[in-house]
Amino acid sequence: MSKKLETAHAGTLESSDAFVRVIPIDEKGIVIELESSVEEIYGDAIRALILEAATAMKVDGIKLIVQDKGALDYVIKARVQTAILRSSGENEPDWSALS
Amino acid sequence: MSFVFSEIPHTSTVRRQKVNDFLQSVDLEMSEDVEIFVIAKEDDRIVACGGLSGKVLKNIALDESIRGEGLALSLMSELLKVAFREGRHDLFLFTKPDYEEVFESCGFKYIEQADHQVILMENSYNIDLYKKRLRKYKHSGDVVGSIVMNCNPFTLGHRYLVEQACESSEWVHLFVVKEDASFFTFKDRYRLICEGLEDLENLTIHEGSDYIISKATFPTYFIKDKRQIDSLYTELDLNIFRNHLAPQLGITHRYVGVEPLCAVTNEYNQQMKKLLVRPSEFPAIEVVELGRIEYGGEPISASRVRKLMQQNRLEDILPLVPPTTYALIVKMMSKEEVK
Repeated sequence: MSKKLETAHAGTLESSDAFVRVIPIDEKGIVIELESSVEEIYGDAIRALILEAATAMKVDGIKLIVQDKGALDYVIKARVQTAILRSSGENEPDWSALS
Repeated sequence: MSFVFSEIPHTSTVRRQKVNDFLQSVDLEMSEDVEIFVIAKEDDRIVACGGLSGKVLKNIALDESIRGEGLALSLMSELLKVAFREGRHDLFLFTKPDYEEVFESCGFKYIEQADHQVILMENSYNIDLYKKRLRKYKHSGDVVGSIVMNCNPFTLGHRYLVEQACESSEWVHLFVVKEDASFFTFKDRYRLICEGLEDLENLTIHEGSDYIISKATFPTYFIKDKRQIDSLYTELDLNIFRNHLAPQLGITHRYVGVEPLCAVTNEYNQQMKKLLVRPSEFPAIEVVELGRIEYGGEPISASRVRKLMQQNRLEDILPLVPPTTYALIVKMMSKEEVK
């Protein structure tokens, strides 16, 4: 994904959902800021999941701010993917990269 | 339990009145500058609301009867959606210290408080970036001065104040209020200040930010005709200056002009003298109040210049402002005549 990224978001703050914001930054890499209601038990696993989802979409130079309200893995993944797609203005995503 | 969310634009006076009634029922005063309200209704009754004003979220309230049912988070989701749709991503909000945790779980972080009654939070934490950037402009010295100016427009009075500060300090940091709420735009104000002070060597001119006399730190500053000032906002603004900004630059003094005319600014000066020196973990900042220079028996001030502009008295403006400001005013007034 080489398009210029823009600020975008996906999800809600409701229970069992996650609210994901994508903010382009000047540095390289992917910065993750997670705030989770299940931080103590699953914090590291959720961070890994977010990073994996973002890396698979070949984005760079973004900050992902995630408010997790106890969402299931696939919900978090879907929210991250949607936010990044919106951030890149992508209408026809490469579905195979989103599995 | 199901809630229906809806948006109330600024133009909808009837529905805004209902929001006002609801806010009063939870002891909040409706803020006039809110552009869009998001409300939640249950059986046709408002049970929660929140407003967007510029990049500030305010008037966020929930009815007692439905607290603790997760409605706060739904409301914030809706409110954030509206704000982001309007292109406002870096948001601030005011709330009571009791609700810090609720808003933390919505992605907001604490910046500063005033009198344990109000806290300011933001969802970007750009203040850290801003502080880091400020540090690059640090000059050491026993007297490092600071001035915050709007300059609407830049006059010889402003020039005098900065000159005095530069004479008695080793270095001076001048912050130009960034909010575009004045007659002259920020771009023009900033340029006139830079041009009018070119010759001063121990001076750094900074673009202001959301963190120094802005609609986020100090909303009432821009609503002067209200003739009243909320001391909580003054305190919040000054706490941010003292605890966050001044330490980055090693500021020891703050210079202000005496303010005989404007009640808001005068109150701000008085508060400054108290709050910037009270005991705290951050160094005290001495406030120096300088007299204003006069012309024709009256102090030179930006408001005097604006008044003369309205009366089309160009020749009376000439002795009050530097040549660069005068040139802009001439240009603006000739355009008006064309209209």
